[in-house]
Order: sequence, then structure tokens, then C-alpha cells
Amino acid sequence: MAQLQNLPDELQLATEAHVKYIQSLDSRKDEYEYWLTEHLRLNGVYWGLTALHLLKKPEALPRDATIDFVLSCQHENGGFGAAPGHDAHMLYTVSAVQILALIDAFDELEKRGKGKAAVGKFIADLQNRETGTFAGDEWGEEDTRFLYGAFNALSLMGMLDLVDVDKAVDHIKACANFDGGYGLTPGAESHSGQIFTCLAALSIVGRMESVEADKLGKWLSERQLPNGGLNGRPEKQEDVCYSWWVLSGLAMINRTHWIDRNALFGFILRCQDTEKGGISDRPGNMVDVWHTLFGLTGLSLLGYPGLDEIDPVYCLPKSTTQRILGSKD
Amino acid sequence: MPPKNNKGGAKAKDSSAKQENDVVKTQTVFERAQAAYDLTRPPYDKEREELGGLHALSTVEKTAYANWFCTAPDELAFLSKKAQKELWKQVNETNRPLRRGQIDKPKPDQWGKDKLGRNIGDYTVQQYEQRIEKQGQLTCLKALGRSFASKRLYASKGLVDSSTGEVYKLTEEDIKAEKQHRKEMAALKKDLYGEKMGPYSTDPEWDDVVPVPQMEPEGALAAIAYPEDYAESMSYLRAVMAANEYSPRCLKLTEHIISMNPAHYTVWLYRFANIQHLDIPLLDEIEWLNGVALDYLKNYQIWHHRQLLLEHYYPTIAGSPDEVKRFARSERAFIMEMFAEDAKNYHVWSYRQHLTRKLGMWENEEHGELDSIEGMINDDVRNNSAWSHRFFLVFSNPRYSTPDSHATEADPKVPADIIDREIKYAQAKIKLAPQNQSPWNYLRGVLVKGGRELGSVQAFVEMYVQNIGNEETEQVHSSHALEQLADIYEEAGDKEKADLCWKRLGEKWDRIRLGYWEWKRRSLKAASS
Repeated sequence: MAQLQNLPDELQLATEAHVKYIQSLDSRKDEYEYWLTEHLRLNGVYWGLTALHLLKKPEALPRDATIDFVLSCQHENGGFGAAPGHDAHMLYTVSAVQILALIDAFDELEKRGKGKAAVGKFIADLQNRETGTFAGDEWGEEDTRFLYGAFNALSLMGMLDLVDVDKAVDHIKACANFDGGYGLTPGAESHSGQIFTCLAALSIVGRMESVEADKLGKWLSERQLPNGGLNGRPEKQEDVCYSWWVLSGLAMINRTHWIDRNALFGFILRCQDTEKGGISDRPGNMVDVWHTLFGLTGLSLLGYPGLDEIDPVYCLPKSTTQRILGSKD
Repeated sequence: MPPKNNKGGAKAKDSSAKQENDVVKTQTVFERAQAAYDLTRPPYDKEREELGGLHALSTVEKTAYANWFCTAPDELAFLSKKAQKELWKQVNETNRPLRRGQIDKPKPDQWGKDKLGRNIGDYTVQQYEQRIEKQGQLTCLKALGRSFASKRLYASKGLVDSSTGEVYKLTEEDIKAEKQHRKEMAALKKDLYGEKMGPYSTDPEWDDVVPVPQMEPEGALAAIAYPEDYAESMSYLRAVMAANEYSPRCLKLTEHIISMNPAHYTVWLYRFANIQHLDIPLLDEIEWLNGVALDYLKNYQIWHHRQLLLEHYYPTIAGSPDEVKRFARSERAFIMEMFAEDAKNYHVWSYRQHLTRKLGMWENEEHGELDSIEGMINDDVRNNSAWSHRFFLVFSNPRYSTPDSHATEADPKVPADIIDREIKYAQAKIKLAPQNQSPWNYLRGVLVKGGRELGSVQAFVEMYVQNIGNEETEQVHSSHALEQLADIYEEAGDKEKADLCWKRLGEKWDRIRLGYWEWKRRSLKAASS
């Protein structure tokens, strides 16, 4: 890591500013944007909290209030909505489970919430038993994001046996494309985000045998552009969030060294607001919590000093997944 | 005591009248009440109060005060006739006024506070009168509202108006007038009491709905704060959703909320439920949806909604091929409008595939997709999404492909002339932009589908790569060609040449992926040793 010490000041990680930025998100209730993003609130808490854990400041958000908020989003059917009064949906249910995993609070779910069993049932009921796919909610929209979310949350709760894993794996295989990537549905264009969800789902159930790692790794490493940043599809602009989607994929097939590490460090660090904190999609743009998390996870995957290690499969600190799942190594 | 002006001339009298007038205007409500109170009691009582007690009054005034006190009706009742007579005699002798009114001594805060927390007793009389007038208006408007509500109730029950002998009926004018009254009421309430009435509480059409305000745990980590209009709409949404109401007004409500926050997924789902229950014509909804989609290009709920609409309505047109074609064409026209804004929009492409499958828009159909996709690739040969759609179109066509054949495996059912055609197509596009990775990937994909070797296109690839390894004459017009050439060598077992290509890629032609090229070289060596 010697060469990193030689980076100019503006290319050092502004840890303190980032912590303050994330803490400030909850005190912006008078701002227009705050209520406009209400449908993402539970995701937002997960993004912010995970970023704080990576920055080694897990106590920067109050644990009790976090648990209260998460549980207030739960419905009778076990699922979680984005905020109180919002419909239950797979995406928020996964965030809720991840948050509770992160702060070691599954016992609170049993004591004060509807319990793990109800959450597991909510998720399992969203599987289409004929095709193996998962819907996001009762309305039936199905894609690989929901499949991954289901595997992620169920495995953290130790309840994967509630679903038909084999059928789900077959569906993921059908989403593989001629260029080595994976799409949202069979036939849909390869996209880094979908590649992450497909690979991570296969990793969780230990079914990576169908992955053409070299072909996929090649496609993923082709996502790096001369400025060091990564894009999500060919001929698209670079964006910090792909530091996570692309790199986590490469990490799951052990090929992060196929891209230029220092060039990506430089790109992510140039996207920081070093004064007010936060990371944006490209240098000079407005920061947000989503890009802040995925900038940090990118740095973590490449071993940036001072950051906690991220698990490329769960997008949670490795310390968390090891505590819950035991060491896989 | 007011100054004595009775000795002045006419002029002085005028100016004093003017002065008094000004005093009335600038006098506060409390001051006026205080002045009125003073007029109802004798001057020595006021003096006693101001000086702080009886002891400060002159002997005559003390006597007058005692008389005044004792002549109060309640006190008089305790005296005998004789004593009363004595008292009145003394009153006469003292020769002081005995004024007595029925009003209580005013208190400065007895009028309460206004919406800004200002004491209304401190208002000037003029301000106060304006306030009273507004309150009067509000009362009248409320009365009109009550009569509107009664009329609506009678009309709903079909009652007869005994004064006219006709059945009660609510006219458009009545509703219009009531809406206007509500607006005026809202303005008055806001002005007087700072109470806000949003667009729903002022709309008679929503009178029967009791809004459900947001409930949240106190001091929650992510407490939710809304601007008022949004909060009001949401509270009505919660109410109608809880009542499972599906009606034109609910449809309008969802439209309003979506215009404020199109990413709110719950409201979209509820809108779709309304459409199902009300059987809204597909094209009406599509027309509205098009406008929203163009306003919010990145929104994904819009496309999910469109897909639900397609699923819901397809059975009604499936029987008529003409209608299917017409719908396919109009959907494509709108998709192209979206692509004019962003030709790589993932949600739109996903919808396009869904549409293609559902309506059978394959390459050989009359309403097929191939021409449109060729047009898009001609417009931007680097549009990877268009390439991906072409692959789907060609290799998922149910007329000749194996059902559910994966994109990564050979499909022996695809005719050879189609494979040839696609190889030629990719090569023609590579010629236009040799460093464009999309047609190179496409070419490889086609070869796999056709079960052909990479080496079958070696001559073509070599057009872009010359004299590899020769420092002076080496020419590479496309790093993708060099990479493919390496794979062709590897396939043919020519390891040295493959290794040289990878070496040159890492050294010069694709340096950012040095790690990848070095790994390729190492694994080849490991495999051969």
C-alpha cells in the first residue's frame, strides 16, 4: 500500500467528513428531497449504516432508534415497507434483514417484531414455484434482483430451505448472455448490476459451477475506462456505483486484479466532497448516500487502508457475515 | 383625566374632535374597553385605583366612595328603610356622581391570541373590526356549506322540496359555488387562525372521506416530514386505500400524487387496481402514461405499470391480429420517442422485449422489429442495447429456434443462412467502427449459436491486425481484433502466437487490463507445462 501514501491530499479518503455527511442525512427533514425519497427510506438507512460500519464508526447512528424504525416498517404479513404506511416489498424486506444483521438485532425481531418465521414466509411466498423466479410483491413483477434479495435475506436468517433453490438457479442460468454477462430476464442486455445479483445469488447457494468465469471476467474488466472509472454496459459513461457492481462480480470469481487498481482508487477518490463529505457518481457532481456506500465498498474490495472489509456477496461487512454464517474460508 | 377644552374657541373644538377621532383609530381593543368601563364608574373609583387605595382620597371623595359602595343594589338590601333614607340624604349632600354599569373590569388578555401569538387586546380597534368582519364571513360561508350538505343529502334520498314541490337536485352550479365558498373559507381560516385547508379538504367531492394522517413512532430515527399539500394527498390516499375504494376520484388522486412523486410504488399499484375495477380503456391510460414517462425518463415504476397494463389488456385484443399489429406499432412509436431522449434506457428495452414476446413482433412478422432495430444500429453503431435486442430477436424467434435455448449455447435449429446473414451484418458494422466492442461481441455470440469455430472468421479479423511483434510495422486497428486473433491461435493450438498477441495487448494496445492479459499468458503456460 506504499504508493497510496504518496497520493496528493485530495486523493486521501475524507473519513471524518463522510461520517458527518451520513449522520446529517437524518436531520434534513425540512428538505424537499427528504420526503421525495421516502419510498427508499429503509434502503437509505441500510446504505448509510453499512457505509458507517465500513468507515469503522458503527455507533454513529443510534442503535435503538434504528431498531424502532425498522420494526415500525413491518407489516402483519412479515414483509417490510420503505417507511411506515408503505406497502411491503421484497427490496425493503431485504434491507430490513440486512440492517438487523448488521447491528446484531435478530432477537428484537422475535421480541418486538413479527418474528423471523413471518419474514421468511413472506419472502418464500413470493417465489413462483413453476419458474423459480421471485416477485417483488404480490403484483408479480419478477426479476433477478428479487431472486438475489430473497437468497440474501433467507440465508442470513438460515431459512433457505423454504424455497426451491434448484429452479431459481436454472432461471439464473437462463439469464446468461452471449457476451458472458447476465441480464434482468432471459434475453435482456448484460448489465453489471444484474451480473452482481446473479453471481451473488449463485455464490450464496454454492452453485457457481455454471459461471463462465473467464468470459465473464473479461466482460467485467472491459468495463474500466481510461480515466480509471467503471461503466455498467459497453459504451456507457463511468459511474462510481459500478465500482461495486463490477468489482464485487470480479471478487466473487477472484479476478479483481484484472483491472487497474490505482486508476480506480484515483477515480473514486476524485468523486469525494472532501469538505462536506459524501461521494458522487462522477467528479464534481452532487453527492448522495447511495454513491457514498458504493464508492466505499469499491475502495474496500480493493483493500484501501483504514476501511473495514466488505463481503462481495452480501454487501455487508465481512465481520457481520462471518458472525452470522461462520467463516467460509 | 382628559384635558379640559371647554374654554377654547371653535377652532380648538375642531382640532379636539379630530384628535379624538385619531385616538379612536389608534386606540387598542383593551384601551377602548377600559375607557368604556371607566364611563360606567364614578371618577373617584378610578382615582382610588390609580392612587393605590382609599387613604389617598380627599375626605369628600372618601365619603362619596362609601356612599357609592353602599348604594350598590346588593348592599342596599341589608339596610333598613330608615338607614336607606339616611344614606340617600348623605348622597345628596356629598353631591358626587354615582354611576354604575353592569360590565366587568376588562382584562388585557380576555380576547385571546391570534395565529401569530399576538394578543388580540393589543389590536387597534380598526384591526379588530376587520377581524370580526372576517369571522362573520366565515360563519356565513359555513352556514352555506351546511345548507349545501343538507341539499346533497336530500338529493341523495330523493326527497321533495316542499316549497317548490320538486325533488331536490344538486346542480353543477351548486357544486361550483360550493367549491368557490370552500376556497374563500380556506383563505379566511388561514388568515384568521393559520389553519391550512388543502385542495382535498376544500373539495366537496371528498367530503365523505376522513383523511388518515401519517402515524409514526415518536422520536423515530427516520421520522417523516412532508410539505403540507403532499401530506394532505397522502392522508386521503391512505383513507381510500383502507376503504378499498376504486373510483374516478381515486384515479385523479393517484395522478396528483404521481405528479409530485412518481417513484412512490404504492400509489402506482393502487392506480392499477383502480384501472382494473373501473375498466378504464387501455389507450386512455397509455396516453396519460406517455406524458408521465417523458417527464420522468429514469423512472421505472412507469414501465412496470405499462407491463401490467399490457398483461391486463392483451386477452381483449389477442383475438384480432389487426388490433395486435396496431397496438404493436403504436407502442413502438412511443418507445422510439423515449429512445430519442435516451437510446439505452434499460427499463424501456426490458419492456420492448416483453412486448416483442407478447405480441410476437419477430423479425419475419409484418409488424416485426428487425427494421426498427437496424435503423437504431445505423443511427448509433455503438448502441449495445440495440445489438443485444437484435440478438434476442434473431435467436429467440419461436419460428425456427429451440425453445428456451440459452444465449450462450449452440442452437442447431437456427438455419445456416441466418447465421451467415448475421456474421455478415456484424462484420459490416465492424468496418464502420473497428474499435467498437458491441459487434465484436455479437460476432462471437453468433459463432457460438451457429456452432462454428472462431477460426472461421480469421481472414476477416486479420484485416485489422498486421505484423504483430514487429516494432516497426505492427498495426492494430482494433484491440478487439487482436484479442480475437489470440483466441483463434489458442483454438488452433498455436500457443506462441497467442501469447505474443496477449503480450502486445498488455504492453501497448489495452494497457489498463494488463492484469488480465498477464493472467491469460500465465494460464496458457500452466496448461502447456
